[in-house]
Amino acid sequence: MNKTPEGDGTGGHSMDLHSITKVSFSQILGLARAVDEAGGDADVARIAAEVDMDLDRIGPIIAAAEFLGVLTVDDGNLRLTDFSHRVLKASTRERKTILRDFLKNLPVFRYVIELIETAGRPASRGEVMEALSVHFGSFQAEDLFKAIVYWGRASELLAYDSRTEQLTLRAPGVPMPPAH
Amino acid sequence: MVAARKAFRWVALGLITLAAAFVIAFPETAGLALQLPLLALYSVARMFAAYVLSLVFAIAYGTTMATNRKAAVVLLPLLDILQSVPILGFFPAALIFFVTTFQGQPVGLEIAVVFLIFTSMSWNMAFGVYESVSTIPQDLVDAAKGFGVRDWLKFRRLVFPATVPKLVYNSMLSWSNGWFFLVASEIFTAFGSTYVRPGLGAFIADRGSAGDIAGIFLGLAVLAAVVVALDAVLWRPLSVWSERFRIETTGTGQPVPRVPLPYIRLTWLPRFVRPRRWVGTRLRPLATGYARLTVRMDRAASAHRRVIRTVRWVDLALFAVIFALVVVTGIVGLIGLLLRPHSPGVSEIPAATVRSLARLALAYGAALAWTIPAAVVLGRSPRASRLLTPVIEVSASLPATALLPLIIGFAIFLTPSSGTEAEVAAFLVALFAMQWYLLFNLIAGVRAIPGDLDEAARSFGLKGLAFWKRLIFPAIAPSLITGSITAWGAGWNALIVSEYIQFGRCGPSPCLYWTEGLGYLMDRATFGVPQLGLLPDGELLLLSILTMVLVVLAMNKLLWRPLFRRASARYRLEV
Amino acid sequence: MPEERPPLLEVKDVSRSYFEAGKEFKILERVRFDLAERDFVCIVGPSGSGKSTLLRIILGLDKPTTGEVRFEGQPLTPDNPRVAMVFQSFALFPWLTVEQNAELGLEARHDPLEARHAQARKFIEAVGLAGFENAYPRELSGGMKQRVGIARALAIEPVLLCMDEPFSSLDALTAQNLRDEILQLWSNPELPPKAVLIVTHSIEEAVYLADRVIVLSARPGRIVAELEIDLPRPRNRKEPEFFGWVDEIYSLIV
Repeated sequence: MNKTPEGDGTGGHSMDLHSITKVSFSQILGLARAVDEAGGDADVARIAAEVDMDLDRIGPIIAAAEFLGVLTVDDGNLRLTDFSHRVLKASTRERKTILRDFLKNLPVFRYVIELIETAGRPASRGEVMEALSVHFGSFQAEDLFKAIVYWGRASELLAYDSRTEQLTLRAPGVPMPPAH
Repeated sequence: MVAARKAFRWVALGLITLAAAFVIAFPETAGLALQLPLLALYSVARMFAAYVLSLVFAIAYGTTMATNRKAAVVLLPLLDILQSVPILGFFPAALIFFVTTFQGQPVGLEIAVVFLIFTSMSWNMAFGVYESVSTIPQDLVDAAKGFGVRDWLKFRRLVFPATVPKLVYNSMLSWSNGWFFLVASEIFTAFGSTYVRPGLGAFIADRGSAGDIAGIFLGLAVLAAVVVALDAVLWRPLSVWSERFRIETTGTGQPVPRVPLPYIRLTWLPRFVRPRRWVGTRLRPLATGYARLTVRMDRAASAHRRVIRTVRWVDLALFAVIFALVVVTGIVGLIGLLLRPHSPGVSEIPAATVRSLARLALAYGAALAWTIPAAVVLGRSPRASRLLTPVIEVSASLPATALLPLIIGFAIFLTPSSGTEAEVAAFLVALFAMQWYLLFNLIAGVRAIPGDLDEAARSFGLKGLAFWKRLIFPAIAPSLITGSITAWGAGWNALIVSEYIQFGRCGPSPCLYWTEGLGYLMDRATFGVPQLGLLPDGELLLLSILTMVLVVLAMNKLLWRPLFRRASARYRLEV
Repeated sequence: MPEERPPLLEVKDVSRSYFEAGKEFKILERVRFDLAERDFVCIVGPSGSGKSTLLRIILGLDKPTTGEVRFEGQPLTPDNPRVAMVFQSFALFPWLTVEQNAELGLEARHDPLEARHAQARKFIEAVGLAGFENAYPRELSGGMKQRVGIARALAIEPVLLCMDEPFSSLDALTAQNLRDEILQLWSNPELPPKAVLIVTHSIEEAVYLADRVIVLSARPGRIVAELEIDLPRPRNRKEPEFFGWVDEIYSLIV
């Protein structure tokens, strides 16, 4: 991926992930698809009206799509890039790989991965939350943790077992221990 | 979390210091402490036996009631009645039955005690199961049906999980009920002899009779410690775990059934995350083995569906026969009683009912007078709540029956030989039995007031009386009524132990304190009052129990239910 | 064309009425259609057309007042493993993980443990949920919950997949993305099912997805028209031909 978060990296390390909390990958892809149908270039207001979402709801999705490089936003206009076409045509598997390559360079993910690697064992929810609050402030640790779990799972970079509340690294294609 | 652990260490240190001081100040009583672990173990074992029975009963009864409409016609009203029966009233009868059956063997006594605790634990749990199963969303039932999930698998994957939140919540209630009756039943004087099963309750009562205040406190401290420890290692983890089984969203934003009371209890106890995780990893192979076993069980269950169905029908049929027998003998017995000339005690029943009602109303008023303001403070101030909740929960963990020796001692001290000691004691026991249910329900009600309502009230300058009238009272009305129902139920049981008290020594037999009331009539009918030349009287016992049942049912049907319906329709907080 | 293939599902003159206080309320009236292998059919109708009731009858969860439903020549029971259902409200068991939910039908079939895991994983992967095996439904967005619902249905390798308003509790973007993925799964002949039946109130959705659209009228539900949508896939909702179909169905209903 050619777009990196450094572009808007203003101080807070967590800001990079912040734009993709509370937004799902489905919504981002759905937005790209909507712009694609409109000819690859569309007005924000038109898309918003079409999908019946107000700015409060579509705003974060646009921001996230832009952050992932799936769209460019230019003066209220959404435009697809070559990269977006690649993502739209990709299979689910390929999309995961693309996502993985992007996420693993984000500071927050690097930080969490390092935390697990140095410990040499799965990290508990409590541990990660504590580390996150020290690093990024406690007021957003909860949101951040949820986002890490969601995007970590979506990209298969990390695995999180909700029953034991353990976060582990995940090699793609390697099956998880079965659940009962 | 770290701060909590540190605070916990300080508390532990303080307790150890206190214990050391106790040993130095009362070396003799401290010597008795050596027997306490074993006694505590006996008491806890009784509770567990009764609880396991209740659990099995509640699940069987509740699911049958929820899934079999024909059975529900009988089961539902029956449960309603059973729940209103003051359990202690039956204890003498159960005691006689089991003791004579086992010819005075301790086993008979033991079974009687467990039976009594069982009857105090199971009804609300059965109701909880019934409510949970009958509110399982239709789409989940359809999904189970559509994917061929039935029999044992359906129970394991759908029915049981759906009951877990209410089952855990009701189990916690049942355990505090259970302690009340355990303490009351471990030591029992009847028919000229005293029946004792060694345990914490018997210890406290025994120290009470011996006038050993330090001993009473020692027993109470151990009892509180046991209750709190069980909360910490069992109920708190379970209630955290049960959160997983809440049916929150069915996805479409339809209203979803919620557990009525939030889990406000036990938040101050340490969570013991690390030991639990250790146990968790050790148990992993067990879980795998269990999963394999269940596959086999599911298979067996659907291979032998007819067997299971037959067993279930035999079960239900058996229950129906027993039920019919009880009803028929009950009716026959009652008719027989009513046809005979009445014994002299029967005419006292109306007056006794009024006195008992008045006593409970007084205790209820006193309980409200302090719990409402306290709940508002505790519910609205995080600081007050953090400091006081542990103290309150430890105090609440002590059943009113365990406090009986202290209370009667206090009453004698307050009004020496004026003849009103029993009156004061009965009032205090009823107060202690009622107040905690009110307090915990009210706190939950206060906590449920949405912040924006509170802010709106403030910003419009709502103050003083208007603030209470317009915001607090309406908002807490439903939980006030829920708490009141439980509190009154506990209150009636308290009367049975407190209107007639044997305490201390008056010559060869224990001193007797009593005050007129339904509870007194019941006890008198069971044990007689040798001092007044009154003999045990089965007719009086039966009729006074019947009266109490009718009064409780009438209050529930005519007062609390309509009130609750009105309150929850008018004052429901929809967010 | 459908006539040459043996029907998989036959809905024969199904009527459904409710009786209240001696009065009859007709929900469905003489609904009749067939479904064959490789059919992708949408039933579309306004609210009150009884389309959800029709689907419940087709699945055997409800009984018709008159008429009958046959699947592979036999009356249908709800637990027929060759038919699977996807719910509007997802109907996931909140206390089971994604994988456990996906395994539900397999567990009911008493598959051995390992086979169950492998099968569930295959379809979790197919719906793009790999990585979320150990998550609980409450941790998932609406779209992902519905993917679990789809994985659970596909895991039993049904011949017929029935979906009741599967996208109507999702936001527009998620719904569109999921529709595309359903079509992607459908275009893979190695994956089940052999036929799909979707009930929806959205005309655009029906035209976007289906080969054939069955249009129901309101109160009581009657079949107004059966239309073969011959637009090539992927369909573009902005094209005039697409609009043409949508317009036509609107005029049939209103």
